[in-house]
This record gives sequence, C-alpha cells and structure tokens, in this order.
Amino acid sequence: MRVKVLFFGRLKEIVGRAEDFADLADGSRIEQLFAHYGARHPELARFRASLVASHNHEFAAWSTPLHAGDEVAFLPPVSGG
Amino acid sequence: MDPLNDDMFRLVVEPIDAAALVRHVRAGEDGAVVTFDGCVRNQSHGRPTLYLDYEAYEPMALAKIREIGAEMHARFRIHRVAIVHRLGRLQIGETSIFIAVSAPHRPAAFDACRFAIDTLKRTVPIWKKEYFEDGAVWADGELPPAPVEAPAAKPAS
Repeated sequence: MRVKVLFFGRLKEIVGRAEDFADLADGSRIEQLFAHYGARHPELARFRASLVASHNHEFAAWSTPLHAGDEVAFLPPVSGG
Repeated sequence: MDPLNDDMFRLVVEPIDAAALVRHVRAGEDGAVVTFDGCVRNQSHGRPTLYLDYEAYEPMALAKIREIGAEMHARFRIHRVAIVHRLGRLQIGETSIFIAVSAPHRPAAFDACRFAIDTLKRTVPIWKKEYFEDGAVWADGELPPAPVEAPAAKPAS
C-alpha cells in the first residue's frame, strides 16, 4: 500500500524533502513507516523521542495502523505564535 | 469566516490588519474586546535576530486553530473569536499572530484570549526558523501531546 508522508521544520532538512510517498506492507503502522525513513536517515531516527506523528491531520499514536492513501506527517516541537 | 458564529480563522502571508480583526469581532452586545498581538522580537537569548521564517502544516494547522476556537466557546462566555497567523518571512516588529476575542464582560474575554495563545503554542503545527548574522536555527518548541499508545491487539477469540 502507498501512503503520503510529510516532513516539517528540521525534519524536512534532515530528510532533504518535504513530501514523499512510501510503499509499505499491508498492516504497517506509523512506527514501521518511521523506521523506513530512520534506516535511511540515522539523524532522523535520533529525533524519535522529540517528534510527534499525525495521521490524516490528527495527532496519532505510533501504533496507529495505516491504510492506502493515508497522509502521515512527522512533526518536530511546534513553535508558532 | 465561520458562517455559524462569525468567527474568523486564517493563515495568511500578507501583513495582518489588526484593526480589521477587532472590528470583525466587536458587536453591540459586547462590553469588551481583548486582543493578543504576537510580534517578532529583535533578539533571541541575547543574539540579535535578522528576521524569521514561519512555516505550517497548513490544513492541519487551520483545523487545530478551529478546534481552539470551538473550545473557547465551550469554556468561556464569549461572543466572537478571530485568530490569524502569518506565514513566510517576517521582519522585526511585524505581527506574526493576532487574536481578538469579544465578550459581554471582560473576564471571559481575557481568559479566552490567554487560553487561545497558550493552546496554540502547544498544539498547532507551525514552526519558526530564526535567522542571525552568523546562521539560522529552528526555534525551540513544544512537543504537542500525542495520543496514548493503543494497547496491543488482543488475539481473536
């Protein structure tokens, strides 16, 4: 299945792109999606404890199951205002 | 504009017209309008700032700002809310966020405005990068509260 993946702030700079599409095994969760990118970008993996994921525009647990067409974003600590 | 109650929630790149937002929330039944004007400071931890770049996960940020507006109405006896956040490059002294809250009586307007900016800073996916003479850094931020991890699936019975 294919999901859309977005990176923001410093995570976008680490990965080198703002948007990507990932092909995952059926039944994958956000945790596996992050591991997919963490394996390619060790610096990203080190941010695991200081980022949150969103799933279709809602903050989501790492265990959230994914489905084709979902949009997942990895979000560093927010600093708006 | 939100057709239900005339609230206004926007992400913009152009300068924010604060006076227009005050006019927008203010009506005959209101006794108070409280505003918050967040502006670009000229230094960060003593280091002179040149300018800031703001970016957002726009659809989610707007949805989260709308949720804040709904929560303000649920918690406080207010009339109307306007929350506008600017994105892109901002110079020193420019307004990055403006919040206006009207209410029949001032305590609710003060409390709701404070709630809005404090919640926004914790939960809305917007980021700022600070530029200095000798480099740039992403501002220290707050990690939004993530949902509790779902329990492991139980074996099918």
